[in-house]
Amino acid sequence: MTDFLLENDAARRLITTLGLPVPVPTRLRRASGPWDERPLHDEDVIVGGSDSSAVMSVLATTLTKAGASPLVADERLRAKFHAPGEAYGRPARTVDPAALPDGMKVRALVYDATDFADPSDLHRLYEFFHPLVQRVQNSGRIVVIGRPPASFESAQAAAAQAALEGVVRSLAKEVGKRGSTAQLLYVDRGAEERIEGPLRFLLSPRSAFVSGQPLSVSGEVRAPAKVSFVRPLAGKVALVTGAARGIGAATAELLAAEGAHVVALDRPQDDALLSQVARRLGGSLLLADLGAPDAVQTIVSHLKAEHGGVDIVVHNAGITRDKTLAKMKVESWDQAIDVNLASVVKITAALLEGGLRDEGRIVCLSSVAGIAGNMGQTNYAASKSGIIGYVRKLGKHVAGRGITVNAIAPGFIETRLTAAIPVMIREVGRRLSNLGQGGLPQDVGEAITFLSSPGAYGINGQVLRVCGGALIGA
Amino acid sequence: MAKKQIYQAPKGRRAVVVAGLRTPFVKAFAEFLKMDTIALGNAVVSALLEKTNLDRGELESIVWGGVILPGLAPNVAREIALDLRLPAHVEGHTVTRACASGLQSITTAVAAIERGENDVVIAGGSDSTSNAELKLPQKVVHALAPVAFGKATPKDYLGVLSQLIPIGEVLPKMPKIAERTTGQVMGESAEDMARRNEISREAQDEFAVRSHHRAAAAIASGRLRKEIAHVETPEGKLVSADTIVRADTSVDKLAKLRPVFAKDGTLTAGNSSALTDGAAAVLLMSEDKAKALGYTPLAYFASFAYTGVDPRDQLLMGPAIAMPMALERAGYELGDMDLVDMHEAFAAQVLSVVKMLGSDAFARARLGRDKAVGEIDPAKLNVHGGSVALGHPFGATGARMVLTMANELHETGKKHALLGICAAGGLGAAAVMERAD
Repeated sequence: MTDFLLENDAARRLITTLGLPVPVPTRLRRASGPWDERPLHDEDVIVGGSDSSAVMSVLATTLTKAGASPLVADERLRAKFHAPGEAYGRPARTVDPAALPDGMKVRALVYDATDFADPSDLHRLYEFFHPLVQRVQNSGRIVVIGRPPASFESAQAAAAQAALEGVVRSLAKEVGKRGSTAQLLYVDRGAEERIEGPLRFLLSPRSAFVSGQPLSVSGEVRAPAKVSFVRPLAGKVALVTGAARGIGAATAELLAAEGAHVVALDRPQDDALLSQVARRLGGSLLLADLGAPDAVQTIVSHLKAEHGGVDIVVHNAGITRDKTLAKMKVESWDQAIDVNLASVVKITAALLEGGLRDEGRIVCLSSVAGIAGNMGQTNYAASKSGIIGYVRKLGKHVAGRGITVNAIAPGFIETRLTAAIPVMIREVGRRLSNLGQGGLPQDVGEAITFLSSPGAYGINGQVLRVCGGALIGA
Repeated sequence: MAKKQIYQAPKGRRAVVVAGLRTPFVKAFAEFLKMDTIALGNAVVSALLEKTNLDRGELESIVWGGVILPGLAPNVAREIALDLRLPAHVEGHTVTRACASGLQSITTAVAAIERGENDVVIAGGSDSTSNAELKLPQKVVHALAPVAFGKATPKDYLGVLSQLIPIGEVLPKMPKIAERTTGQVMGESAEDMARRNEISREAQDEFAVRSHHRAAAAIASGRLRKEIAHVETPEGKLVSADTIVRADTSVDKLAKLRPVFAKDGTLTAGNSSALTDGAAAVLLMSEDKAKALGYTPLAYFASFAYTGVDPRDQLLMGPAIAMPMALERAGYELGDMDLVDMHEAFAAQVLSVVKMLGSDAFARARLGRDKAVGEIDPAKLNVHGGSVALGHPFGATGARMVLTMANELHETGKKHALLGICAAGGLGAAAVMERAD
């Protein structure tokens, strides 16, 4: 679970000095401690785009409230920033992207392209980013905001909006070697207010291993009674399956840090590890084997009896039974489908009938294998792409109750599973991502925590990759 | 935040200010060099007892505020009672709420009187920056412990020596007003606020000049004379006037000063409050007791409010939250106030808070109200100057403000005064005072 290119300073220096053709990855800036009221405290953020857009006002409030010092690329934008700047003591300054002071670097670039309606509009994107791409600090952030291409009547508008995706995915590869990321938010009309939570996440160090990610922000989910960005999960009960180690343990810890009471679930044979996790975060323990026939009943009745229900369900437990399909035994096929997909469906269905409270959050673990496929993982990939189909559909069904259903697709994460991969393959797997390194369980946990928060109510039925933008076309 | 229903004492039980005094406020390390905070407290309390001719037996308690407390006798209030040979039953306790300590001591006393615990209390505060104790770094204290208190072995002596290298780390540190959580000196935080709220150097200098001119005018007219006790120093010198006020200052003069907290900053020695030595105190009584003893009530407190903001954001913006809280608790709007008195830690901080109170956007985002709290008429704000001109002996400032406002209400026949104080740690303090009829 160690990456010598990140942890061994001598090796880093040697490679750099000798000019070896090995990319030395940038150490990613990560967050520690619970969510901050001002995750962008005193960070410079350059904002570009149209002053006529509805998104710009929300952007101005979101950035200043999050503590950022806004710099606007166009004098006309400053009017939108006036009131929020005054409220939060973050007045906007105007800068000329093409004439930034020497040596000036900023934390983030945000571009509002929601008014793009013709391919010729893309020229403005070039004008904004061309001089600024090199002015982003290490572990910097780029976010482009557009409208869903399908929401336009006009095909040429759809073309212009769809083009944003190509830009962002390629930009993510361009800036990745410096630990920076680029993301795209497609915002539905009327859902502008809902970008605050996603923006705070994508602009903060909590999205360290999310790269080249398009996300849609829609208005389909009923808005929660209260959105808070400090201790957002206070009073919530969260079930995390597979919580004894790795991603599950990291997620449990992060959810608890935001105020959730975590019910940590794992197999009875992991009793010792699991109880350590539960004790560390003041949560409770639930031992159950998801393959057992009575598992669903055990979980539902425990949650109802002990906690009166549940607000957040993280389906993290999963197994691999790798073999080529030609050589795979039928039990391996069945087990992978059962644990990774069928039991997720069964538990969720039972909880939706009784136990899961309104404004709930369901997060299922998918995998990049479920998006791109992997040699020897027909069973596993089937279960993981099945999850994607499941969350897309289920999200629509429960939106009226204020519940969201989303999937997380981790890429190469430094865990027990990836540590077991032979060294050469492991080394290649690590370097494949835009960021030139593997992610940490914490990175996946941060993304899950974000999706579990009330402020993520604009994100529903989607797949959030935590893969550093690995070489796949998700 | 949920609206608080506050307790309103019935007339008669209300705590009223009947008199007050302060020492001259003088620059630190000058006339009062040999007087520590207790000595300054002694000076003002004895003068107040003399002026009011109070029967010592009636006095029940002293409540004192201070920021730099003497390490060996932190309960300054009781030390004052003992030094002045007051009757043994005159108990005392000392409070600290950073620069709001002087207001804190008074509102603590008010609460005790209105609860019926006390009828006659002296409350005030003092600070002597000149007598701040130099602090030995903790590692030296720990290394010295076995040598000083135990049976030291030769190894312990060696240990002490080894702790003295490098010498720079173990030299006593000069006291400075730095935030414990952020490490920022207060002026740096105020510099941040000037930038965040777009307060120009010119606006700060103009405000500072106005503070000096108003204070100088109040001194020249004799308005402040009755608030100031003459103090005899241990060297036998009689100090009878404030030494920081500059009647002859001007915007042109202040414009020449260099920024002190940031190279391209806007805060200078001229538009910031100076390190000051001084003390202030008021005599508080229940209204019935004042009547019984024949004292004239000057003013009482309709409300007070304390709150906190994140010190990493805008350290000194607390009054922008606390002042609307105090107004709401008293059932008033800003427009009902005849006088507004704000502690001037820095001109930039006062102007920032004034701007916040006048902003609809701020009111919506930070106070949950639709409209701004309101504009403050410069003619009502700090009518006799403030801390920039008079100086700021931390623990005394709140009591100085209460004293001046109580007299102002009584003498001018005006009805309401709003007080606001910012303090280290992101604290905000406020009070609404009313003339007692």
